[in-house]
Amino acid sequence: MPRTKLTTKKLAQRIDMHYFKRPHPLRRWRTRLSILVPVLAIVWVGWAALTRNDRVYSSGKMSAGHAVLSARCGECHVKEAGSFSAKASDQACRACHDGPTHHANQKFTPNCSSCHAEHRGHKHLAATADVNCTQCHANLRAADGPTQFVIHIEGFGAAHPEFAALRPGSVDPGRIKLNHAAHLKAKILGPNGPVQLDCEDCHRTAASNAAWRFGAVQPAMKSMPAEMDPPSRVSARAYMSPILYAHNCIGCHALQFDKRFQESVPHDKPEIVHAFVVQKFEQYIATHPAELRVEGPARNLPQQPMPPAVRVLAPQQWVAERAAEVEQLLWRKTCAECHSLSLSAGAQLPAVAKSNITPRWFSHAVFSHDAHRFLKCLECHTGASKSQESADTLLPGIQTCERCHHTGEEAAESRCFECHTYHDWSKEKPVKGMLTISHSRRGS
Amino acid sequence: MRIDGTHKKWLVASLIILSVATTVYVLYASNSVTGPRGGSAIGLTFGIIGSAFMIFSGLLAARKKVEVWRLGRAQSWMRGHLWLGFLSLPMILFHGGFKFGGPLTAVLMVLLILVVASGVFGAALQHYLPKVMTSEVPFETIFEQIDHVRAQLLAEADELIARASAPLKLVAAAPSGDLAATADSVLAADDALAPLRTFYTREMRPFLENSGERKQPLADAERARGIFDGLRRLLPAGTHETANNLEEICEEERQLRRQVRLHHLLHDWLMLHIPLSFALLLLGCVHAVMALRF
Repeated sequence: MPRTKLTTKKLAQRIDMHYFKRPHPLRRWRTRLSILVPVLAIVWVGWAALTRNDRVYSSGKMSAGHAVLSARCGECHVKEAGSFSAKASDQACRACHDGPTHHANQKFTPNCSSCHAEHRGHKHLAATADVNCTQCHANLRAADGPTQFVIHIEGFGAAHPEFAALRPGSVDPGRIKLNHAAHLKAKILGPNGPVQLDCEDCHRTAASNAAWRFGAVQPAMKSMPAEMDPPSRVSARAYMSPILYAHNCIGCHALQFDKRFQESVPHDKPEIVHAFVVQKFEQYIATHPAELRVEGPARNLPQQPMPPAVRVLAPQQWVAERAAEVEQLLWRKTCAECHSLSLSAGAQLPAVAKSNITPRWFSHAVFSHDAHRFLKCLECHTGASKSQESADTLLPGIQTCERCHHTGEEAAESRCFECHTYHDWSKEKPVKGMLTISHSRRGS
Repeated sequence: MRIDGTHKKWLVASLIILSVATTVYVLYASNSVTGPRGGSAIGLTFGIIGSAFMIFSGLLAARKKVEVWRLGRAQSWMRGHLWLGFLSLPMILFHGGFKFGGPLTAVLMVLLILVVASGVFGAALQHYLPKVMTSEVPFETIFEQIDHVRAQLLAEADELIARASAPLKLVAAAPSGDLAATADSVLAADDALAPLRTFYTREMRPFLENSGERKQPLADAERARGIFDGLRRLLPAGTHETANNLEEICEEERQLRRQVRLHHLLHDWLMLHIPLSFALLLLGCVHAVMALRF
């Protein structure tokens, strides 16, 4: 007997007409999950609200400097009374950082967050985009009219002017007569025979604690004059300290003044040198009175009375004559070797021109020798080995910097912040710390 | 829903929206000082558009619950759900600047990606599988009825076996003068049906009872044909009809199994898509409120 033919009617008759009253497990599970998953989401957010953990709403990882405050949203997002909004304000930034104004006459002052974008990952907040600078410097205008600065700068390598010290007409203002080429020659005469000088025999940062090869034992190295100090946040390894006679010159350029003495005159003002010389001769003649008997000159001078063959001098006269002889030598040769001296009419002692050594060439930028320590000095200061004049400015030009600092993945940083700081840190006000370590690590 | 020529307008509109949005984003991202941010005017606009698309897509669930609403055709809602839901992903990526941000935004982004990916996967299945179902499962029934139908198949098979054995019982019960001859004929008939009974109790009934077992010989159409051909050779010609009917029942069982598998393929992705969509919409609202705060 053949099986009953499955007509549509027969098929329909096989159906349980009440099936829709009993939901299929698949549908039941879908409903359950559709409730469970959103409930889990609510529980998560609710738990965060109960534990006051606002980190859930963070828009990204904090910068390296603020990472420790990741759990303390409220330190920056200060909620005003009665307000729902808790946006991070400049005021909150200034609670920990003073951000001195760039220039008193700038046309506008941007918000902190417009340059320092937080919650963008573990990066350095000072690494701001060039646009932040060029929005003004591409067409610079001061609030009170024309500006003394270069008007069009669009970035390093993009209409950036040559460094001011290298622009036409600029010379090294230093008054110390120094011939770099002569000092860098091979086998020049050193204190104990021929030597070959290296740059670092004279040029070192304030942080260097190595002994001076041709220097004397002196107190701690003097940093640059206060008015020449780099911005307060620049490391002591950044700049070369000013050249000091005691550190750099004394080994070869001794200031001996008379064969009777082993000592040198102090490297100081002419008045002090004069007093030193007089004192030395006075002490000497007190113990060597026989030298008061002085033989006359060996030959006659024309139109001068015949001097006596032998003179016996008073001690004061002897000291005065010897000091005059020595100072003639000092002022005209020993000191003049490096310094510019001028003897005005009627003056007993010469005036020494200020050395005027430039400790920082960039007045509106920062530079770190420490960051470039892997390079040979002459790689950038190419003119040093040939320079014979003090007036030669040996600062490397912008093209030298651009050899490494340019755009591209295999280049050194070339954005504005690398050399320039927006904030005038010389006007920075101290900030009183308000947080504790345990406080900063707790959730907000 | 099949994605055919009727989607052309939606496709063109979606491509235009995507092209315009991409162009705006590229210009915005390349000129942005601090990089693209969700809080900027353009970033916020992308966020609002993306959220609107997501909310519209989510409203499909409400539209399905209240079918009597006269708010456009169900097909249009489904097309809007498909295309606008898909567009919400690039819009939100543009909103976040392709960054996942903090914990909540990262969860939202992961949820959105899962929802859109599962939706695309589901749409592809919904495009191809109904065709496969029509060709491979002529005995297709209502999915929820499959267990009910399967029970009826088992009962029908049991009945076929019982019916095949019925003449034997009649012969045995019939009064006859020659008891020995009757007994011989009953034994002979019983021996002839033994392969059918053995096959049914050992192979076919377990096959009909255990729908989850895939390695059974009868689960494979080719092997089943061979088994039934062999069975028919062992059976007397009078019982071939029964064997044919049993073979047909096995075929129907195989088709129901195939329908179950296809149905799971067609609908299981919804187990991910729908719950995550609800969570996404919920957390999206929280994000919108808290973003206004911070």
